[in-house]
Amino acid sequence: MRIRDCWLPRRGAALLRPYAICFLVVMVAKAQEGASTSRSVWDGVYTEEQAKRGEEMYRKECASCHGDTLVGGGGAASLTGGTFLSNWNGLTVGDLFDRIRKTMPQGSLGKLTKQQDADVLSYLLSFNKFPVGKTELQKQVEFLREIRFEATKPGAK
Amino acid sequence: MFGSMMRELRCGCVAAGLLAALPMIAAGQWRAKDTEWASYAADLAGTRYRALDQINAANFNDLEIAWRFKTDNFGNRPEYKLEGTPLMVNGVLYATAGSRRAAIAVDAVTGELLWVHGEHEGARGGAAPRQLSGRGLAYWSDGKEERILYVTPGYQLICLDAKTGVRVAAFGNKGAIDLKQNDDQEILPDLTTGEIGIQSAPVVAKNTIIIGAAFREGMTPKSMRNNKGYVRGFDVRTGKRLWIFHTVPKKGEFGYDTWLNGSAEYTGNTGVWSQITVDEELGLVYLPVESPTNDFYGGHRAGNNLFGETLVCVDLKTGERKWHFQLVHHPLWDMDISSAPILADITVDGKAVKAVALPTKQGFLYVFDRVTGKPVWPVEENQVEVGTVPGEWYSPTQPIPSKPPAYSRNGVSESDLIDFTPELRERGKAIASKYHLGPVFTPPTESKVDGPLGTLTVGTASGGTNWPGGSYDPEAHTVYAFACTACAEPIGLVRAPKAVSDMNYIAGTAGEEVTILRGPGENAGADSPMPPKKRSAGGGYVALNVDGLPLLKPPYGTISAINLDKGEIVWQIAHGETPDVVRNHAALKGMNIPRTGQETYNIGTLVTKTLVIAGDGQITTTSEHPRGAMLRAYDKKSGKEVGAVYMPAPQSGSPMTYMVNGKQYIVVAVSGGAYSGEYIAFSLPAAE
Repeated sequence: MRIRDCWLPRRGAALLRPYAICFLVVMVAKAQEGASTSRSVWDGVYTEEQAKRGEEMYRKECASCHGDTLVGGGGAASLTGGTFLSNWNGLTVGDLFDRIRKTMPQGSLGKLTKQQDADVLSYLLSFNKFPVGKTELQKQVEFLREIRFEATKPGAK
Repeated sequence: MFGSMMRELRCGCVAAGLLAALPMIAAGQWRAKDTEWASYAADLAGTRYRALDQINAANFNDLEIAWRFKTDNFGNRPEYKLEGTPLMVNGVLYATAGSRRAAIAVDAVTGELLWVHGEHEGARGGAAPRQLSGRGLAYWSDGKEERILYVTPGYQLICLDAKTGVRVAAFGNKGAIDLKQNDDQEILPDLTTGEIGIQSAPVVAKNTIIIGAAFREGMTPKSMRNNKGYVRGFDVRTGKRLWIFHTVPKKGEFGYDTWLNGSAEYTGNTGVWSQITVDEELGLVYLPVESPTNDFYGGHRAGNNLFGETLVCVDLKTGERKWHFQLVHHPLWDMDISSAPILADITVDGKAVKAVALPTKQGFLYVFDRVTGKPVWPVEENQVEVGTVPGEWYSPTQPIPSKPPAYSRNGVSESDLIDFTPELRERGKAIASKYHLGPVFTPPTESKVDGPLGTLTVGTASGGTNWPGGSYDPEAHTVYAFACTACAEPIGLVRAPKAVSDMNYIAGTAGEEVTILRGPGENAGADSPMPPKKRSAGGGYVALNVDGLPLLKPPYGTISAINLDKGEIVWQIAHGETPDVVRNHAALKGMNIPRTGQETYNIGTLVTKTLVIAGDGQITTTSEHPRGAMLRAYDKKSGKEVGAVYMPAPQSGSPMTYMVNGKQYIVVAVSGGAYSGEYIAFSLPAAE
């Protein structure tokens, strides 16, 4: 299905019906997709110990571009605040993990192990005030894809 | 020295087809059609304007994707920061793409790849300060030959046959010029690792190619000494160097005495990394020059530092300086001149003025007579705060335009802080209390554990209008410019350990280990093997947000329409959907918050006969559209939104438009987050 055909225009009431149906179909499909993903970043998906390891690794390998406060530098992607949350809201932790695996660290791609990347990711979650839990974030992307990235706490809307 | 790769996919029949539609020739000089987009900013005047109107307010919502072009495989890894604006001439679209910064040609109607050219630069490409796909390329024709010019990450100027993508052997050394050579300086430490490059598109005016220079991010340089960013002109036929302009004057040249204690000898940077603008008729070139070495500390370069953060006008034929205007004396805020100068023929108080207008990070639109360099409206030297950083040299005054008024926030006071609720405001004030606040040109402070941690600024490194620049409507004499009005930047300085830098101070936070910051794209390209440096943990950092909400109050990002006949802001709107984190925030539940716009610094605008068009810089999910970003159209007279179409990712390169076979297209680069680089072409459906 082509999403572009499903954009609901703001003007032109006569056009609304077919677009609305199409939009609805996408939403239902998305809901079904999400049904298999039972956990979110609000469910305590990393441990404090892991986030500490991740912070150490972040300082070594990431901070030189993304900055001490994770706000990015000179255009490097922000890893906190509105831009970061908007970039990943609605996706999964696995998507973010995959992006890190594919492109980071700059200049020494592949240097970090899956475990180290998972640790860094747990630090990002911790820095962004997602709650800490009792089990570590796993390092298999397939499992991480089961964890929804939601910018705002469920039920808070 | 450098390996090269060329893939000629399907040029024969296309080239034959193109011969039948060669561009207009007037008096031996080729001119682009007004339905084409022949240079980065549409024209050499930097307007990003095309008087096309097939796509208009009545049908913008009907736009559909004509074709899309994914750039993942132009390099050994995908790119998530596609910033290019393509060119379109004779039905062929040219662009840079991918982590290789390949040059590509695609069919402008179908998006089919016609040819691709890439340079494998090995260690030199891997050491380049400005990697990834860059912003674009240049087209040249004399009515017979057609050439494409671009600069590789490793700072080579490449000349290609536009029909085939093959290097033009007669140009330079088999189609390439090593820009690290013949630059009136020895690029140190060597040609492979010597820091200099560029990510912007070259400019060709008459038969002269003009190339600037860029460096690493300048907040934490390892040394006060660096290579200098001179600007050069080259013959488009032969590649021969025609002229050079020393952005840091050599001994005996005008401006040398603005560098005290001989600091012009060793200070570097001061390049021109943004787009260059040319008035071919007047034979004048407008150079927006960036900051000298160390964006935030100038203790090793006492004096006003010409031509740092200066608009310089030089002769197109000789490179000789005609006039200059320094926007910031002794630069300390990273107010690089980041936007292409815009040429505007305006009427002020009944008098015709050939003007040049300059959007900036600091939110002032500077307007000059482009022949004389005289400000169109008075620019007064204002007393500014003198700082206390040991060893720093301060200019007691800075020039501030009397008109137009600032179109973007450029200082921080308590009244600029988040104020959705009293509680959020108090928390915002608590964060801000750790910093020194003040209006535009409030100087950086030494970062101290007990405070201040630095000066909290906006309208500096990433504020206001950045590299996409503005647009200009030559009919309404109006500049349109996006600005980030909430891109807060803390500027604190810390003493630099000798092992880190030979400068007294570099950017940092008290209580934290001092490190060298790198920029995006540095060590990220296809040739980069560099291991990252090490650092250890520390504390004391302050997140500049309150529960994910921006520290500064809305609007976070705006588009302003500024009339140049009057020097007035005609309209200003928040650009970009209210971010999800604001719209869905628990603390804001039940509040009616007008559209806030978005905190992003890379939004370029396109102006057509009736519309201003720009995409969102952030992803949102609303009841009206699925997860994605919207490409928006505004009535250019009123700023009212008249349409929006869905994009799967934020706009990351500025949109352009063209018409082929009677059909108008809009092409925009999108990328970011989980979405790798893609050019998307929109057009109207063939049938109702």
